[in-house]
Amino acid sequence: MSTTFLPCGDYHENYRQDHAWWQTKLIKGKMILLFAILFLYIPLFADSYWISVCNQIGYTVLGTLGVQLLIGFCGQLTLGHAAFLAVGAYTSTLLVLEFPWPGVLVDLGLAYPISILLAAVAAGLWSVLFGLPSAKVKGFYLILTTMAAQFITVDFVITQYVSQIGGRGQAFSLPPGTIKVGPWVIDSDVKVYLMMLVLVVACITGILNLVRSRVGRAWIAIRDNDISAEVMGINVVKYKLLAFFAAGFIGGIAGAFWISNLAAVSPEHFPWFWSLWLVGVILIGGVGSIHGAVFGSIFMVVVMELLQLAVIPLADTYPKLLMDFLFIKEAAFGLAICVFLIFEPNGLAYRWWQVKNYFNLWPFSY
Amino acid sequence: MKMHNIWSKIFIPLFAIALVAGFCFPANAEQINVGALNDMTGATSDVGKDYALGIGEAIHYVNDTGGINGKKIKLYQFDYGYRVPEALTKYNLFKRLNCVAVLGWGTGDTEALSPTVTKDKIPYVSASYSGHLTDPKKTPYNIFMATDYSSNARAAITAWFDKKWPQHEDYGKRKPRFACCYMFASPYCSAPIKAVKDQAEILGFEIGSDQDVSLFAVDTKSQILALKKFDPDLVWHGNTVMSVSATLRDAYALDLGAAHIINNWGFDENLPRLAGEAAEGAMGVAPCAFFGEDVPLMDKVVEYAKKYNPGVPREKRLIHTVQAWANVLGLAEAMKRADKAGGLGGENIVKKGFETMRGYEIGLGVPPVTLTADDHRIAGKVSIYEWKDGEFSVVKDVDLAGRWPEKWENEWMGW
Repeated sequence: MSTTFLPCGDYHENYRQDHAWWQTKLIKGKMILLFAILFLYIPLFADSYWISVCNQIGYTVLGTLGVQLLIGFCGQLTLGHAAFLAVGAYTSTLLVLEFPWPGVLVDLGLAYPISILLAAVAAGLWSVLFGLPSAKVKGFYLILTTMAAQFITVDFVITQYVSQIGGRGQAFSLPPGTIKVGPWVIDSDVKVYLMMLVLVVACITGILNLVRSRVGRAWIAIRDNDISAEVMGINVVKYKLLAFFAAGFIGGIAGAFWISNLAAVSPEHFPWFWSLWLVGVILIGGVGSIHGAVFGSIFMVVVMELLQLAVIPLADTYPKLLMDFLFIKEAAFGLAICVFLIFEPNGLAYRWWQVKNYFNLWPFSY
Repeated sequence: MKMHNIWSKIFIPLFAIALVAGFCFPANAEQINVGALNDMTGATSDVGKDYALGIGEAIHYVNDTGGINGKKIKLYQFDYGYRVPEALTKYNLFKRLNCVAVLGWGTGDTEALSPTVTKDKIPYVSASYSGHLTDPKKTPYNIFMATDYSSNARAAITAWFDKKWPQHEDYGKRKPRFACCYMFASPYCSAPIKAVKDQAEILGFEIGSDQDVSLFAVDTKSQILALKKFDPDLVWHGNTVMSVSATLRDAYALDLGAAHIINNWGFDENLPRLAGEAAEGAMGVAPCAFFGEDVPLMDKVVEYAKKYNPGVPREKRLIHTVQAWANVLGLAEAMKRADKAGGLGGENIVKKGFETMRGYEIGLGVPPVTLTADDHRIAGKVSIYEWKDGEFSVVKDVDLAGRWPEKWENEWMGW
């Protein structure tokens, strides 16, 4: 059943209609408009700065989706998700740079897309490894075990061993032209943007389908009460590990995507702070909502950029304002989390739900 | 309700006005926009704050002394917290602000941005002196007014080998032992590793295992104990000053007995303050004069520091201010030359500005700058200093280009 009230006069007559993604012609029209804006208007008319901001949003969305799945849908707290992004990024980079791909795959531009898939699987499996403690511990203790994932993966395995492959030192250099998808060399912000959109749409579609399946219902049951879920016959450990795999899988895609926006990859790109940031994003966007992951990401990236643009004219009078902007940004991040937790604990997604319902039910809202 | 009214009536319109003003960047023909990325809050802020202050002060100096052939520089200076994704979006903002050049900071972000600045043809004058940025065939728009980390590390180990090793009791009886302490995960710290080990092999050192020391480290006893098993005669430190001083303190406390050579961002006026006695005899690289030294133009550096940042006392100012001045003055000179030669396009600034410098004297103790279309290393000679008896003094000027001309010309550039 949809969580949104339908406009007055619209009724479902069968399950097919009830489970349809776009349930009315109006919704279908709005979604087509949204896709037209995302796939045509923005790449054609936005300047490179705003495209790069969109890419940052996309990276944040991809990173956040896995955290949302773990925390929001399965109730497994995580503070080490950047580690799985790192595994994805490094697996994809190593495959692209070091793996002896058959010439035909390289010519067809399939090496990088295949590397994204393999990176996602590698990150998923790596995530399962750190999900194992969830069989025994939960809550605060699980946070600590997931934090261990960050330090073991990034600070130890990647820094000490993986980064040494090839002998360059710590950073893997990705020369221009390395990243190719089909006939397109990903060498501009617009191409990165379009690839990001495809990946974000694919991942959101996948998760939306997953959470309304048997697996998703099992995750939600575990989140709501794991003992009751077990009593109902749900194999709690299996589904928890499956959640870790799915979260790691999407994290791997995020990491593998992000290398297309960089010319070099180093462990510095995946600090623990990023794991914390991703959790903050879902707190602001709304825990337990895919919309929440998207809204939180847009809020955290766009609002900060707008705030920055707003302070630029003031810099003539207060020159230190630009230099101090990062302080303002960090403070705004902390403040936003506090404000949302106190005044809107269901996040932006809930506000969006209210606005939508207001218009759907207008003029006869309750 | 009352709060809501205040919010909607005052703050939102103010924010909207500021936002609209922010979108409408004024185009001023007599103004040249330059972007600066600095680290005031991140992993390298222990040295980054002073550098950032120096950038602002040097731009004021350039503007006060005629600007770029009469045109003033407008500086957009941001703290990016040493975070690569932040650096990428800031760089795109600089493009949107029509900045003709960028004064960058860290090695990770500078190397990550290098292909992009090459594509955009925007000169990128960084505080990262990574040797990877010196080959114009690969990184034509990356430039800095200092000798690169790899040359610095080669020179430091050579200076110790020439000056200190012959005084050692085991000289002539065995090979000297050498090890490195640095943060493996940091591209800045690891940039010259290959070069310093290559130089150690050339000079005949026995090389031990590297020790991973975080840029945030305050306790390095486990690394020092691991080093003690190898018993090195010389340790190279690749971090910034806070963690380097922590390492020196622990090495002193645990009686490691090795000499220390330090990369330039770990070797400043704060080192003896933080490490105390443990810093005695430490050798390192200074790409220019220390703050307040008696060299040409230093009076202006001191004057502008006092004028624009009076809240920071003189004794707390560091060599990094001078490094910032060197980069700004180098960029300003390149822009002046380019402006006279046809305009301030990025390609012009590099080709008709920087790459026309032949023995250009910035002052401030920076070696004479020579940059060509084939080589972005400013000089082949590196001064190695030592902290001894309460002052920094030159141990040796190592002429790498003169001593190994073949390798300098054909092998060492770009790594």
